Amino acid sequence: MFDVALSPAGAQIALATSSDEKHPPENIIDGNAETFWSTTGMFPQEVVIKFQTLMRITNVHISSYNVKKLKLEASETEDSNKYDTIAETELEETDSQLQQEEIQLGEKRAHSLRIVIESGFDHFVSLHKVVVSGQAMHH
Amino acid sequence: MPTILRCKCIIVGDATVGKSSITQVFHSDGSHFPKNYVMTQGVEVLVKLVNIPETSDSVEMYIYDTAGKEIFSDFVKRLWDHPSVIMVVYDCTSETSFSSCVKWLERVRAQSPNTQIPGALIANKVDLEQRRIISPKKGQELAQANKLEYFECSAKEMQNVDTPFFYLANEFHKVYEERAELFNSLS
Repeated sequence: MFDVALSPAGAQIALATSSDEKHPPENIIDGNAETFWSTTGMFPQEVVIKFQTLMRITNVHISSYNVKKLKLEASETEDSNKYDTIAETELEETDSQLQQEEIQLGEKRAHSLRIVIESGFDHFVSLHKVVVSGQAMHH
Repeated sequence: MPTILRCKCIIVGDATVGKSSITQVFHSDGSHFPKNYVMTQGVEVLVKLVNIPETSDSVEMYIYDTAGKEIFSDFVKRLWDHPSVIMVVYDCTSETSFSSCVKWLERVRAQSPNTQIPGALIANKVDLEQRRIISPKKGQELAQANKLEYFECSAKEMQNVDTPFFYLANEFHKVYEERAELFNSLS
């Protein structure tokens, strides 16, 4: 198993609903928890991570701040708009430290992963790091 | 690329205090004052971009012009989730509308009780000097007691309508800057 949501591993950000160039969404797949993507107001917010190829993924670890309700959706094809919800969770509020959320998926196939932040504990939330454990599927 | 913040601005207050007039005068850059009264049913949303001085940032304001008639209140509350900023409006010639302000404010704040939400209190219709009942002092006191910034305006005369929106956009931008610094200090 590898972290397939790393930019050196070929992962890319396909879409994000907030953009502050000082805190771009690419920061969540750079492997560094010090850099972050910041939302810039209102909910819901979403970011889509596109993997290099179709992956079999087993769990997702998210380091974040002020996120309340979160939903993960997966798409199996490269350019489809068809996403299936694979996990939904509600996070605990933390005080001046990152939320660390581990989400077990069993085994899911995904070419891209959409992270939907449905609500937050404040106006703005940050995602620092998303680790997706998985491996490429061989046909 | 400049940063664009998105700000959900909820406008509340009793019916006929001038919420829609204020919204429309601001939204049209002072080119449109609705001369005839049309009661707002539910919520009307208008969007306007406000530039933040001395930065390249701007705030896209989603202005939720809300029905003031009590009969719509259960319905409109459902559209108030995650308010970014609040504007409470009263008519300075109406005692009733002034005493309703706290009720409106509490309803919006109850949506996110643990979040600090910048707010403004607006005395509208200040052009009607002869009929004015609520003094500036009373308005200021109410604002202070409820952590709001006080403004006076006349939508009809298009006076000072922009100022409270600019104030709220700036406050929201300040909150963003503070949070970005906080996020930076974590991990």
